[in-house]
Amino acid sequence: MSDIPPASTLSRPWRLTAGVAAVFSVLLGLAMVAGHLGTRAEDPLQSPQLREMKAKLPLSPADELLKGEIRQLDLQLRGRYFRQLERTSSGVYLLIGGVAIFILASTRVRRLERQPPMPQPQVDGSPEAARAAAARWAVGAIGVAAGAGLFALSLGLRPALPERAADIDKLLEAGAAPAPVPSDAASPDELARNWPRFRGPEGGGVSSLTNLPARWDAKTGAGILWKTPMSSPGFNSPIIWGNRVFFSGGDASQREVICLDLKTGQLLWRQAVAAPSPAGNAAQGSEIPDSTGYAASTMATDGRRVYAIFANGDLAALDLEGKQLWSKNMGPFKNSYGHAISLATWRDRLLLQLDQGESDDGKSKLCALDGRTGQVVWQRARKVGASWASPIVIEAAGKAQVITLAAPWVAAYAAADGAELWRVECLGGEVTPSPVFAGGLVLAASPSEKLLAIRPDGQGDVTKSKVVWSAEDNVPDITSPVSNGELAFTISSPGLLTCYDAKDGKKQWEHDYEMDCHASPAVAGNRVYLFSQKGAAVVVEAAREFKEVFRTEMGDGFHASPAFAQGRMVLRGMTNIWCVGEAQ
Amino acid sequence: MAHESPGDGMAGGGLWALARRSMGIVAVAALLALSVFTAAGEQRFPPPDFESGHQLPVTSTPAARAVWLQYADAMVLAATLGASAWLVYRKRSRKGLVALSIFSLVYFGFYRKGCVCAIGSTQNIALALCDSGYAVPAVVTAFFLLPLIFALFGGRVFCAGVCPHGALQDLVLIKPIKLPAWLEQGLSVLPYLYLGAGVLFAATGSAFLFCQYDPFVPLFRMSGRSVMVVSGVALLGLGMFVGRPDCRFLCPYGALLKLCAAVAKLRVRVTPAACTQCRLCEASCPFGAMREPAAANPEPRALAADRRRLALLLALLPALVAGGAWLGGRFGVPASRMHPTVSLAERFVREGSAPPKSGLPTDEDLALERAREAPKELLTQAAAIRHRFVIGGWVFGGWSGLVIGMKLLSLSLHRRRNDYEPDRGDCFACGRCFEYCPNTLSQSAIPASPIRDSSRV
Repeated sequence: MSDIPPASTLSRPWRLTAGVAAVFSVLLGLAMVAGHLGTRAEDPLQSPQLREMKAKLPLSPADELLKGEIRQLDLQLRGRYFRQLERTSSGVYLLIGGVAIFILASTRVRRLERQPPMPQPQVDGSPEAARAAAARWAVGAIGVAAGAGLFALSLGLRPALPERAADIDKLLEAGAAPAPVPSDAASPDELARNWPRFRGPEGGGVSSLTNLPARWDAKTGAGILWKTPMSSPGFNSPIIWGNRVFFSGGDASQREVICLDLKTGQLLWRQAVAAPSPAGNAAQGSEIPDSTGYAASTMATDGRRVYAIFANGDLAALDLEGKQLWSKNMGPFKNSYGHAISLATWRDRLLLQLDQGESDDGKSKLCALDGRTGQVVWQRARKVGASWASPIVIEAAGKAQVITLAAPWVAAYAAADGAELWRVECLGGEVTPSPVFAGGLVLAASPSEKLLAIRPDGQGDVTKSKVVWSAEDNVPDITSPVSNGELAFTISSPGLLTCYDAKDGKKQWEHDYEMDCHASPAVAGNRVYLFSQKGAAVVVEAAREFKEVFRTEMGDGFHASPAFAQGRMVLRGMTNIWCVGEAQ
Repeated sequence: MAHESPGDGMAGGGLWALARRSMGIVAVAALLALSVFTAAGEQRFPPPDFESGHQLPVTSTPAARAVWLQYADAMVLAATLGASAWLVYRKRSRKGLVALSIFSLVYFGFYRKGCVCAIGSTQNIALALCDSGYAVPAVVTAFFLLPLIFALFGGRVFCAGVCPHGALQDLVLIKPIKLPAWLEQGLSVLPYLYLGAGVLFAATGSAFLFCQYDPFVPLFRMSGRSVMVVSGVALLGLGMFVGRPDCRFLCPYGALLKLCAAVAKLRVRVTPAACTQCRLCEASCPFGAMREPAAANPEPRALAADRRRLALLLALLPALVAGGAWLGGRFGVPASRMHPTVSLAERFVREGSAPPKSGLPTDEDLALERAREAPKELLTQAAAIRHRFVIGGWVFGGWSGLVIGMKLLSLSLHRRRNDYEPDRGDCFACGRCFEYCPNTLSQSAIPASPIRDSSRV
């Protein structure tokens, strides 16, 4: 009898271990598959119940009970989901362990039960020759299969790309791939002579004209050149190009662009905008509360085309005669107050700031479109939530910069390619006041919190290095600041007018008009123009000491900011479009 | 048809055989289940919409590996290669090689996450050779060259105990079966074809195929694309029965190592002394690398036929190369679509006059919009890249024809072998055969205890 126990005895524990490990692995694997399927079912983003509740919320946004239920369910689903993910993660390691034990035990079993090699009698003949012949056939077959595969692939999709350089020219000439057309945008001088966007050429609410009206009387009609009834709803401000005034209006049934004659106020044309349906699920359309409406965003023009965007995402370009050139829908917009950011242009490009949702939704973007075709030239994702402040384009530090505001960032992008240039973390709340650029500084208001002046020549996060001053008195929450480079003015929603030194932010004076203001102030010459929701129009001196020049009641309500042309000021009231100035 | 190795007869009857087969299936199933969850690791879950002002942590990008650590990696590689050669040629220790394999698996695989690896470095070298603007880091060059240099002197010691891919497959090999020689030889040309394709795509700057389809990296990283995970698990499942399937029939770097090992100064020998022709080792290799003794000249009648065949194949070789080059050139056109510039240009031409899409554009749409700014530049660039692809396709096709032709030639040559010996190119230097040689056992005075006669039960 040998001292060595039989192989089966020695291998039995290993065999048992291998069996247990196999069973464990299988059961664990099945449990993980079941858990994985369950996790998918509990994905909060896929939950029909949660979706249904969220869909109900826009219909009754003040329903706190519903909000609470949504939060509770969301929390429960996320809790379950992440617990399952944790279990899965642990399970993977256990599974690896189980499989490793199985392999180890099986290997041991094999080693213990391995039979000694027992060479068989060699056969006569030349088995190697036969094997080589079979191998040659196999190699040949592989070669034929590889060749056939290459040939089949070469017969695949016919290439669209021409083979020779000459053919490329022909293709481009044929128009299949249109060659770029030189920019046709208006020159900076032309733009400066007009009012091409929200708050004028630079978006700062400042006119360089000095022949603008200082007083008028709506009751007697003195100084009122014309008054045209408003026939289309909208809070956007008028823009002016040449002898034409443009503004937009609309509701759920129709969106339109209206053009008036600047001299007479006569309707030149009105054009309904026809845009394709919103992309994605139509049921999840843009949020458009009545308080904002469809036409809160002010139009813009590059002097050759006018552009309009509406809260449902409709975007259109029209020529100056009202012919629609292109349109698209950029929605739906996830914005609880409705999309209200105005358009801007740079050269022949249309700039769109589409801030929406929450910062983590990844939905906010800044885009530049070719004004002639509507095709996107560049686009940059913005990790911000919804905002209502309109972008401005400035020339600073040798670059054309697009200045944007959305909590928590004031961010600048290169107008040429959308590359981010600098950013300052300073904003909070629902950012509505638009930025202005004056005296080499960007002024930005964090609503009801602080007014900041930023030197726009930095790179990266310049929060600690480029903020020149900040002021915390009487900061507006809706209206935008205005500055002539020496002084800066703000008016808060309740009508508190404040003057700051634009160089250091020191308050010079304040005056409480006690009137509701949504229209941003404007500066022309040495005057500051103010308009209230209830129709008050006020002119004060743009000086270090408060001095009211003029005040009148217009008998109309104003949400829009004024637009200026030679000797004229165009106002959009809730009931009329006004043109104020001296008759020539 | 696969059949069992004679040395691996089963003990314990059919029940145990059935149980072991079942367990094999179970293990494969478990590994496949693992793949499901590893693939699920790709999923990204959007954070909740906080209304409380909670600041989400900022996502940060991990810093690049410190330079000194990269040089340390190269030194570890050199040290492990040296250790592997020492274990193969001096110690002749299978156990030592297993221990080294486990270290390499942990270090180069799980710790280094499988990157940089020698297999992938081939592509960096190919790109650098064809693109003067691309510089290969010294460490990558070391990872490419060191195993090849060692192979030139000592065979595939890299595969023996340094490559984490090989180590992983070697460790899961539970019950090896021997593949028919014709299948083994037929499949052995695939690594060369894959090598050619990978070099083509890398040299044209289109894609690093070896990395994009690496089957085992997802396991090292516990995350990866589904196609990689599933292929890796399938190969590991297959690897329980077919020794190192990836190394033998797919690995492009293995093809290079094989070429170097074929002319290596040192070669792995089963026996440390004179071979007694006991034939105990003839079925010891699970990788089909063991070669039988063979006479230099066959029978006179067969010799004439063999010579005719050899002459025919020699004449056929240029035709195979030319035919392959022609096919490769044709293949270059569709293959060029793998290059992003060509792909964009193709889309640009197809959709050049299409009306603008509604809604926010995708990244691809944006690329197309940018292309419209300078269409001629894009099309000219794409045409130049495609031309390079066509040239590269000719080379790839010619290489493929050459591989097939040379393989056919090698299968038509007679080689004299007096002893049982591992094939220079195919041998992974794993050291399994050492334990089968009675000379080894007698020299090292190791009792033959691991091999038991189960018939004594």
